[in-house]
Amino acid sequence: MRRGYSFYAQLGLTVLLCLFIVVPIVMSALAGVTVNIFKGVSSGLTLRWIFEVWDLYAQSILLSLWLAVACLVVTTLAGVPLAYVLVRRPNRLTRMFEEILTLPVAIPGLALALALLITYGGFGSFRSSWVFILIGHVLFTLPFMVRSVAAVMSAMDMKTLEEGAASLGAGFWHRFLHVIVPNAMPGILAGALMVVTLSIGEFNLTWMLHTPLTKTLPVGLADSYASMRLEIGSAYTLIFFVLIMPLLIAMQMLARPGKKRHTASQLAEDE
Amino acid sequence: MNATEMAQPADQNNQYARNENRASTRIELAGCTKTFPDGTRALLPFDLTINGGETLVLLGPSGCGKTTILRLIAGLEFPDAGGKITFGDDDVTRQSIEKRRVGMVFQSYALFPNMTVAENVAYGLKVQKVERRERDERVRAMLEMMHIDMLADRRIDQLSGGQRQRVALARAIALRPRVLLLDEPLTALDAKLRVRLRSEINGLLRKLGITAIYVTHDQEEAMALGDRIVVMQKGSIAQIGTPREIYRAPVSPFVADFVGASNRLEGRIEQDSLVLGDVKIALDQIGHAISTGGSQHGKGDDGDIPAEVFFRADGLAICDPEQAQLRGRVEAVSYLGEKSRLTVSGIGESPVTLDVDPDYQIAVGDDIHCCFNSERLTVFTRNMDADCREKAV
Repeated sequence: MRRGYSFYAQLGLTVLLCLFIVVPIVMSALAGVTVNIFKGVSSGLTLRWIFEVWDLYAQSILLSLWLAVACLVVTTLAGVPLAYVLVRRPNRLTRMFEEILTLPVAIPGLALALALLITYGGFGSFRSSWVFILIGHVLFTLPFMVRSVAAVMSAMDMKTLEEGAASLGAGFWHRFLHVIVPNAMPGILAGALMVVTLSIGEFNLTWMLHTPLTKTLPVGLADSYASMRLEIGSAYTLIFFVLIMPLLIAMQMLARPGKKRHTASQLAEDE
Repeated sequence: MNATEMAQPADQNNQYARNENRASTRIELAGCTKTFPDGTRALLPFDLTINGGETLVLLGPSGCGKTTILRLIAGLEFPDAGGKITFGDDDVTRQSIEKRRVGMVFQSYALFPNMTVAENVAYGLKVQKVERRERDERVRAMLEMMHIDMLADRRIDQLSGGQRQRVALARAIALRPRVLLLDEPLTALDAKLRVRLRSEINGLLRKLGITAIYVTHDQEEAMALGDRIVVMQKGSIAQIGTPREIYRAPVSPFVADFVGASNRLEGRIEQDSLVLGDVKIALDQIGHAISTGGSQHGKGDDGDIPAEVFFRADGLAICDPEQAQLRGRVEAVSYLGEKSRLTVSGIGESPVTLDVDPDYQIAVGDDIHCCFNSERLTVFTRNMDADCREKAV
């Protein structure tokens, strides 16, 4: 097939657009490993800034990872049963609850944080602990977990599966843990990645809630941009990037449809 | 067919099949009704007994309550206060499904997609904490019996519809349930496979000698599988009988129509005869197959009583113009291979169907002469029909 003028025009435009997005990322990453950004790459490459970031902000980075894990544990423990109830018992009450649950996504993080501060800010030790930020993160990420799990659950005819398990003698918990949860796993995994990614990257809510001792990774990043050399901010970005990229790729792979395609041909030959 | 005769184990080598034989459970539902929370009366008061080892088919159109009866027996629904369900001597009325020891096969199979075929079959045994070695042995025997042993390690999404249904059956009987409940298990399959699996299920039920309740809307399936058939209509039992009784002696126009007597004519009873237009047929010539209906329409000793006549395509035949009772015009001819089916107008209000030899030369628009095959007619007097409707509403 001969490719015409329009093919090359489209290809050109696509490449330009990609460059437009990718070049700043590369520049930023490069800045993080350049000795002196004002002199350019010719000044040489170094890992010094990365170590410096680690020295300055290790606390923030580790806190963020810890928060993400804690947030994941809470949203999974709360979100999976919640999704189950929403799908299994659809009535006015549960639908209303679902709407309320989604509100924190629609409300600006700053407003949500302000509400938390006004209400609980007075409890000194609670206010200054990481749990305070965790609550903000859970409020913000829970709807993503619930939605993701509920989508898978409503596609799998839970009622009949449970009836089948019950006819074989399985009580509620056995059914829930051995039939419902394993079959909802794709939704739980997708939700989990979403929660971790969102929690690590969450800035505006966290920025309001943090104290000097509970700085998270993105808050530290803003701090470094504002008060440190550009190379340090860039190196920080690089670390952030390395942390978040694998999660995003994993999320994409999970979301990719047609994992079971190959079985269709097997079916045909069996019948 | 006699249930106890057929229940002899065909396979003496399968100890699990043999065990089933001894423990066939008689099931009784007494004074049961079912009202749903929104106030709908799904089932009107009824009593039903399913003999040990018997296969009972619940037949009826959708929404007639057949699945609700199955779910009452399963323990997925509970009867209204006053109803009682017993398995043998065991009152299970308020027992939940987990405790009832029933095997269930669903239309959608309800297999667990997160487990392999073998794990699905082993699930119930695991729940009952059957020891590992015995469990493996029983799973193997079940898979072998259902001819799916080579699929043991397959995942459910790698199976065809027919294979899935076999796994569902194996899973349901692995626990040696007191009763096997099948809810339209073949509806999701294509026609050819349906017939094949139907005879397989039939063989299995006879071999196990297990009490079984089978729900379907398919008359052929009901006749092929049932020792007895319960025809359901709008939440109540319209008729209980053997397939032969249901087919040859339906007790109401609804049952007649539902089991395939799709031709309907209106007439009246005059003394000892059925009168259809100019045709007069002595009542004692009309199929003895309608004995249950017969005693009823015998009541009208004097005066004319309106009557409804139902018959299948074999209730009417082409005959000599000299002796012909009826004349009609051919509206359509469908060649079906072993026979041709004619649609004929001019006999009743709506066209009737009759079968002729496939080589008989006939075309649309031809006039034909026919005679009733009075043996094959089913007659209901109008009075009786009205009674039936009243009972059903």
